[in-house]
Formats: sequence, C-alpha cells, structure tokens
Amino acid sequence: MISVRNIYKNFGKKGEIKVLAGVSCEINKGEKVVIIGPSGSGKSTMLRCMNLLEEPTYGEVWLEGDLLTPADPYLHYNVIEASKTYQEMLIQRPQPTKEELICEIKKNDLLVKHEGKAYKQELKKVEQQYRIDINLARQKMGMVFQHFNLFNNLTVIQNLMLAPVQLKIMSKEEARQKAMGLLRRIGLEDKADMYPATLSGGQKQRIAIARALAMNPKVMLFDEPTSALDPEMVGEVLDLMKELASEGMTMVVVTHEMGFAREVADRVIFMSDGIIAEDAPPEEFFNNPKNPRLKQFLDKVL
Amino acid sequence: MLFNDIIKILTDKELLGYIFEGLGNTLILTVVAAVIGLFLGFIVAIVKISAEGNKYMKIPAVICNIYTTVFRGTPVALQLFIMIFAVFAIPGFKPYAAILTFGINSGAYVSESIRAGIASVDKGQMEAGRAVGLSWNTTMIRIILPQAIKNIIPAIGNEIIALLKETSIISMVGATVGTLTFDLNAASNTIYREIPNFLASGLIVGCFYLVIVYFLTFVIKYIERRLRASDKC
Repeated sequence: MISVRNIYKNFGKKGEIKVLAGVSCEINKGEKVVIIGPSGSGKSTMLRCMNLLEEPTYGEVWLEGDLLTPADPYLHYNVIEASKTYQEMLIQRPQPTKEELICEIKKNDLLVKHEGKAYKQELKKVEQQYRIDINLARQKMGMVFQHFNLFNNLTVIQNLMLAPVQLKIMSKEEARQKAMGLLRRIGLEDKADMYPATLSGGQKQRIAIARALAMNPKVMLFDEPTSALDPEMVGEVLDLMKELASEGMTMVVVTHEMGFAREVADRVIFMSDGIIAEDAPPEEFFNNPKNPRLKQFLDKVL
Repeated sequence: MLFNDIIKILTDKELLGYIFEGLGNTLILTVVAAVIGLFLGFIVAIVKISAEGNKYMKIPAVICNIYTTVFRGTPVALQLFIMIFAVFAIPGFKPYAAILTFGINSGAYVSESIRAGIASVDKGQMEAGRAVGLSWNTTMIRIILPQAIKNIIPAIGNEIIALLKETSIISMVGATVGTLTFDLNAASNTIYREIPNFLASGLIVGCFYLVIVYFLTFVIKYIERRLRASDKC
C-alpha cells in the first residue's frame, strides 16, 4: 500500500542535520505497523514523509502504485541507458553509505549535464506515468497528530465536514450524516456544536481520529497520538485505535505505548539514528531482539 | 485673549469652513490611503508567508522585503517629498501622489501586522488542513485567516490611527484651499494667517483630531469585542 524507498531527510539550511539516512519499508494493505524508537531517531519524520508533510531530501514514496515524491535518479538507474558510467558505478557498490550515495547523486547530476537529455527524459517519463497530485494522495491517508490540531475556529461537526465538503467528495447532507455517525460511534454526539477548546484532550484526539475517518481513508497515520494526553485519557484513545485495527484498517502508528504495539501490531519497527534497525513481528521483536540498540532500549522502557 | 480668538474662529463662517473642509479631506485621505494600505499589506503578507514553502514565491518575497524595509526605514515626510516632487512631478497630480504615498507607506506596516498575525496561528493548523487533502489556499482561507484576524485587527487599528495623524504632514508640501491636500493641519495654518494666534487654531484642530481618534478607538474596541465573543477558545 505505502512503499517508502530509500528516504533521506536532511534539515537545516545546508542539510547539516541528518534525520533520516536511507529508510525503506513496505506497508501492506490491512497491516498494522508500529514504529518505536528513542526521541530524535527519526520515527516521526519518517511518518510525516509518508504523506509528504515533510518532503524527503532523496528517495521516493509510493501509495498504491502512485508516486508522491519527485522521481529519484538513484532509484531509476536501471532504466537509464544514457548514463552507463553511473550504472556501473552503482552496480559495483550495491550498498553505498549515505555520504557515498550523496556524492554519487552529485556526480550523477554532473553526468546528467554531460551525457544526457535522454536520462532526464526517462525520469520525466516515470513522473508523468506515476506521479499524482499530493492533495489527492492525502485524501487517502488520514493523519492523527500528537497535539490533535483540531481546527479551532470551527465546531466539532464542522471539523469533520470541512474536508469532504470542500473537496466535493460528499454533499453537505451526506457529510453531516457521516460526521454524526462517526461522532455517535465515538460517543461524542452531544459535542457536535461545541468548539474544540471546550473539550478534554482525550475527546479532542478521538474527534481528530473521526475527522481523519470522515474522508474514508485507506490508511491511517498516527503520530504519537497519546503522548500529549493526561494518563487517564490514554485508554479511551487506544481503545478507539484498537477498534479501528480490528476492523481491518491499515495503520502506521508512531508511539511509546509498548502494550499497544505488543497487542495490535503485525510488525514493529525500531528506528535508531535515522535508519530502521529492526523490523519484526511483535513476539520476536520484544522477546528476541537482535539489534543491540533495541536491546538497550527495551531494557530501559520495559 | 486665547479664549477670544477661539470664539472668533468658531463663530466666523469662513474660518470654520476651512476647518470642516480640512476635516473632510483628512478623512478622505485616511480612508483611501488605508484601503490602499490594507490591500497592499495583505498581498505582501501573503507573498511573504507563502514563500516559506513555495520556491516560485522566493523572488516576489525578496521584492516585498525590500519594499517593507525601505518604506518602514525612511520618514514618511521624505517619501512624500520624493513622490510629489520627483516621481510624480505632474501638475495637478499632487493630491493623488500624496494619497498613494500614504497608502504605500501604511501598506508596509500593515503587511507586517498581517504577517505576524498569520504567523501567530499554530503551525499544526496548516498541517492538519493539508493532511486531510485541502490545498494551501483553502486551508489559509478557511482555517488560518479566520484565526489570525483576531490578532490582526488591533494592530491594524493602531496603524489606521497613526495614518490619520500622519496625513497632517501633507500640509508641509503646500496645501491650498479647495484641493485634497488641504487637510486639518493645513486649515490650522491658513487660519493662522487671519488670526495670528497659533495656539487658538491649533487647539481647535487638535480637538478635532482627538475626537476622530477617540471614535476610531471605540470602533476598533467594538470589533475586537465582537471577535472575542465568537472566540470560544
């Protein structure tokens, strides 16, 4: 469903802060993937790269066969005939380090200048064939934020209705019914005409989940959905997420809730220093971790 | 003596006429310049804000930055002289050049107020809007601007009050009766020629300024209160 291919993300004016250093992973339909890791390991950045709230510096993101990012020259070297030297270079070095890769991409830019329009055209062809508008792609991906980010100037029901109506996916009446249905489901029907500021954190987060669901997304991304909540409210949000999971929703969840990961996840990913250090089913992940950093991490948190 | 002069001015039809003409022109100048300023300021603010995520807006943003730096960094009196006697040195164009100057000058200040107001809205609001698939424009119009307006209104109100008083500079560039450049301050200067008591005419005109500004403050407070009332945060 979501395919993340060799993503690098650098922050800062000169790209001196390197947050993601070559991340690749596949999220299959119906799968629940939980991403954990120490703070600063790049887990939130990776999630935000999936719907391009952060644009990856290098690499590609695909959603159901559609390309969301610009085509990355490194990933398409096999289709490029014009730049033979570059291909050979890459084949000789199947797993370049990050610095080497960046250096190669720079060299490649030079090669493009020297060798070929044909090469650039190939990349363009890929983009023409597969790339879609990011706003369209985001309609298929619901996102839930750590700080809820409900629209403060709108009532709860307006929060749920805004996107479907604005994007002409539903009529106003349909959107209202859908929204009321979702609110009923999360037990907050009576809050429909209230403003977000009057609600508790747990209520806000459940409404934020409902807002994402109002668009009928195919996959839900959760960015530390319970980290900003008071402890007694964590349960209600996790329960709603578990319910969603049991209905077969594809979910990617960045969280510190180990219990949730153990119980719900099909796969748990451990990120450390901008790479995926371990990617395993929960039993194996928690009972038999291989990566030394993960062992340390689990010792600390469990 | 002073009291007598004030009475004299207030009872003399011609002199009182000067004051009301000046008052009318001051209001016209302020309103037109404020409209130009708001329009310019809004566009400049939007260009600056959108440049953060849109590489095509980088060059327009640089131009806008130069504009705000220059017009906020130099005295408006100097700008007025340059515009009237150099840039628009066309006979009969003086009042319009003056309005334009005040408008452009206030646009520079307004743009900063609007930009700051927009920037004060939590970043997560834009992210949430984009994440559900809304475009930057839609999110800006439906989510960000309605929240920013509460922070913008007081600052803009201040700017309009400052503008109203600043228009008095126009009397420095030679204001004659019957033209738009004849504002309240110029009226005071003209009266001085008939009744050589600057304090008398000055006090009267000062009262007029005070009354308008007080009225404006009242209006702004009212709008603010209305916005707060709809603010359920």
